[in-house]
Amino acid sequence: MTPRASSPVTALRRTALLWTAAGLMGATFLPWYAQPDSVFAFDWVSDFGTTVEASGAFSLALRHGCWWLWPLLGALLGCLSLPLLQPHRRTIGTVLTGLAGAGLVLFWLQGLAIGVSGWTTDWLVAAFGAIDGRQFGIGAGATIVLVALLALLSLGLAARGAFKGDAFIAGAVVAVTASIVLFTVWPVLRILVQAFNTTEGAFAPALLIERLSTPKIWTLRCLWGGGGCGVAWNTLFLALCCGAGTTVLGLAFALIATRTAFAYKKTLRVLTILPIITPPFVIGLGLILVFGRAGLVNQFLDNAFGIAPTRWIYGFQGVLLAQLFAFTPVAFLVMIGVVEGVSPTLEEASQTLRAGRWDTFRTVSLPLMKPGLANAFLVGFIESIADFGNPIVLGGDYGVLSTEIYFAVVGAQLDYGRAATLALLLLAFALAAFFLQRRVVGTRSYATIAGKGDAGLPVALPDGLRRLAQAIALPWAAFTGLLYVFVFVGGFVKVWGRDYTPTLQHYAKAFAVERGPDGLLWTGAAWHSFWTTVKLAAISAPLTGLLGLLAAWLLARQRFAGRAALEFATLLSFAVPGTVIGVAYVFTFNVPPLEITGTALILVLCFVFRNMPVGVRAGMAAMSQIDRSLDEASAMLRGRAPQTLAYVVLPLLRPAMVGALVYGFVRSVTTVSAVVFLVTAEYELATTYIVLRVINGDYGLAIAYSCALIVLMLVAILLIQLLVGERRLGRRAAAPVAAAPAGRA
Amino acid sequence: MTEGVAFRDIVKRYGDTVAVNGVSFTVEAGSLVTLLGPSGCGKTTILRMLAGLENVTSGTISIAGRNVTTLSASERDVSMVFQSYALFPHMNVLENVCYGLRRSGITKAPAAERAREALRQVGLDGYDRRQPSELSGGQQQRVAVARALVLRPQVLLFDEPLSNLDARLRRQMREEIRDLQQRLGLTAVYVTHDQQEALAVSDRIIVMSRGRIEQDGLPRDLYERPATSFVANFMGESSQARATVKRLDGERIVVRLGDAAFTVDDSRAADGETTVAIRPETVAIQRGPASDGALAGTITKAAYVGTHMEYTIDTAAGALFAVCPRVDRPLAPGEAVALTLAPRGIIVVA
Repeated sequence: MTPRASSPVTALRRTALLWTAAGLMGATFLPWYAQPDSVFAFDWVSDFGTTVEASGAFSLALRHGCWWLWPLLGALLGCLSLPLLQPHRRTIGTVLTGLAGAGLVLFWLQGLAIGVSGWTTDWLVAAFGAIDGRQFGIGAGATIVLVALLALLSLGLAARGAFKGDAFIAGAVVAVTASIVLFTVWPVLRILVQAFNTTEGAFAPALLIERLSTPKIWTLRCLWGGGGCGVAWNTLFLALCCGAGTTVLGLAFALIATRTAFAYKKTLRVLTILPIITPPFVIGLGLILVFGRAGLVNQFLDNAFGIAPTRWIYGFQGVLLAQLFAFTPVAFLVMIGVVEGVSPTLEEASQTLRAGRWDTFRTVSLPLMKPGLANAFLVGFIESIADFGNPIVLGGDYGVLSTEIYFAVVGAQLDYGRAATLALLLLAFALAAFFLQRRVVGTRSYATIAGKGDAGLPVALPDGLRRLAQAIALPWAAFTGLLYVFVFVGGFVKVWGRDYTPTLQHYAKAFAVERGPDGLLWTGAAWHSFWTTVKLAAISAPLTGLLGLLAAWLLARQRFAGRAALEFATLLSFAVPGTVIGVAYVFTFNVPPLEITGTALILVLCFVFRNMPVGVRAGMAAMSQIDRSLDEASAMLRGRAPQTLAYVVLPLLRPAMVGALVYGFVRSVTTVSAVVFLVTAEYELATTYIVLRVINGDYGLAIAYSCALIVLMLVAILLIQLLVGERRLGRRAAAPVAAAPAGRA
Repeated sequence: MTEGVAFRDIVKRYGDTVAVNGVSFTVEAGSLVTLLGPSGCGKTTILRMLAGLENVTSGTISIAGRNVTTLSASERDVSMVFQSYALFPHMNVLENVCYGLRRSGITKAPAAERAREALRQVGLDGYDRRQPSELSGGQQQRVAVARALVLRPQVLLFDEPLSNLDARLRRQMREEIRDLQQRLGLTAVYVTHDQQEALAVSDRIIVMSRGRIEQDGLPRDLYERPATSFVANFMGESSQARATVKRLDGERIVVRLGDAAFTVDDSRAADGETTVAIRPETVAIQRGPASDGALAGTITKAAYVGTHMEYTIDTAAGALFAVCPRVDRPLAPGEAVALTLAPRGIIVVA
């Protein structure tokens, strides 16, 4: 028999006491509340215990009248009683679960109930009378207590036999669940509360109905009479057109790529990688260079025929065009899967039954693709309503929900109630489309291959159809390429439209480096936001990958109560548009208990929880390829869960790891919609900086910066690939999009 | 007797479906017990609960007298040989066998030493540096066994270990496993759906059906004295016949099939009309009409399968299935025959 360190009960008791001790130390020796600068500035040390801001929890409760901390501290102290209990795992587990669970509940109750100016709502004042206590955002001490309570809860649950008795799995499930609840579910629910509240914070349910029924959202004036329609109709109409357009284009591309002898099929597939590394507004920029007032088309018309330049591109047409360019590659990717999923044997069967090529396509192939087409349509729809970058750059007077939310928060209106209402509406649209898509994907089973080898050869397209597909797709592909070329060239000319003299001035303005007396001076205008972006993306990418793969491993490999709910929550956080998340973070995290607005932390959190679902999807897809018995074999061979993860699962998951890292980084760099609400002068990001330049008409700099970003991302992808050691990048980088087409903006 | 494994009133539910329904049994230390049954009978679930890969819904499991019900798989001191072998594809043979030792906190050199010893035991000397993908099915199987053996676990579990091998190799491997288990005195629980395999390797067999134990006994008893018609059908082939039972004395009964009567050893069966199971290899067939004491029948189907003939015969007691080693002068459908049954081939099931 192999040697064993100690009996399970002793080990359990020791671990639980260690966590309790850690929690108590945090509560005693670290300031409970957040520090104005950072806890690592250590300016609190001199005042420790004397002021409310710089006191530990026990000192607060004993000397500063914060009696509401006693119950939760009591729960933690209660865990010290473990050595007195019977040495049964179940008994210890039940006591731990009870104490830690109660502690967590009390922690949040007091945190939510008492804010910077005492009780947070009127009925609490009515019930308990006014108090003069006040609370700030939680700091280092409170965080350590929170972590300790979560750890104790996991230990307790595992000891009771949940999660097959494995404390690590229990801890991982508790950690993942807690972080998703804290940083996705809670903020989104917070919008709901905000939508019901008046600007002063009073609860007024009638207000929501009033806000929702305003003509600014629902008017249909554009159909008759003059004027524009409401933003809700604008958003829906745009999304319908975008969904239909991208589906047709995607189908045309997919047919050419899979069912014809087209010579440059490989090149076509490059199209699918472009949107991953392109910030969402770059296409919009390219369109401005071609169709804008000073664009090529207007100039040509002006010079050749004397037609005065128009602002034609700004508005519905412009946004739709930009979205079609931006999202067709995603539809292409979806449709490749769909077209390849149609079994060639069925088409051959049809041909042996006297059907010609056209009849076969019309009566067999196309009906089999129907669910796939519906899926592609909904993906385009979802992408369109979540899009922020293109409408803000090209929208002009054509307002959509995402931009209206932005103006309600950032503009002169500063109407949080309106922002929340619009966000709620956008969320409702997104979720409706998302659920519809899930249902469509659920019904596609009859269209896909049955898992048996299919010996048939795909039937060639009917000639007419082939010509049609080529007539649609090839010019479009050429034009997409051309747009990228214009964007690239645009960074090297003085003023597009007026002065095409080649110049490096835009790059110099953005990225100048001068030699000063004390070494290099980063004098370029873009450096600040550039380094902030790189730093924050580099911090959040590994966190995203780690959390995503951990969640994927739990969802794919562990069976536990609430697994379905957890999976649903990660899926859902995927469907929430970025703008909604941004607004939700602003509402939720600029007041205690979690007061982190204006910090780098909130940006990192936003990146991590926006991008994590992609990591989860990629991880789950990869894990379904690894036989479950390998994990079990490791467990049977004395490998505890963390060891199994480290020695068996992770080495086999390398490709998915690369995917998650690349995605975490690239999406952090390219995202606009969520972070546009969260950036500050201190923490400005590249994309928000560029969007502001575009809005101000400073195209040269914006273009130069965008190109630099694209290059940065290519470098980052290569670097990550080199570090983690994986060769087939193209396939890997493309895969997560296919698995997870929604929610990019 | 020393108790190796004890299962007490184990129930396992998945939602509304009951996979294991109140199962209790013990495994003596040093013996090999087989769980046998058709797919979906709950035998693999029992094995996985014993391993700690599944939680029990209710009941207790103990190993060597220690209650392990809530312990995780890595804390139980059991090892398992998987149906798919589950060799880690990113490690070579030696690393695979060392894996469990290293996880138990044994340093590299002694771990490698013990791993080589285990590989020698399964006859894989000098395969240390091979990757699992470079081995044949039988060799992979041996690595999986060595990997489980090397930890000297309290209990060794086998989950249909031979089902991925071809027939010839299957027999060889099952002999090697049985040999190893007896030589090292291991306590083992073995799961299979192949009754021949079960008969060949086991000290004791537990036949399962629909989440319950049908019969728990010695291999020979199970074949010759099945307690239920399910066991009679599952352990080897048999055909059902209508019969009348009359007790002769405490040890013997007379079984009447049509016009024929046979004296059978049996101490349990009650008098009256019943269904009996007839083993096909105990039916002796004679050409021509039945004489005294034999059962008259007509051949309805005849098939030549190489080593023997297979016949279906219509009789007054029902259609009987019989095998006959004589292939030189086969009987044809329609021929009248006289059947004599060996007493050990007539099984009265409750």
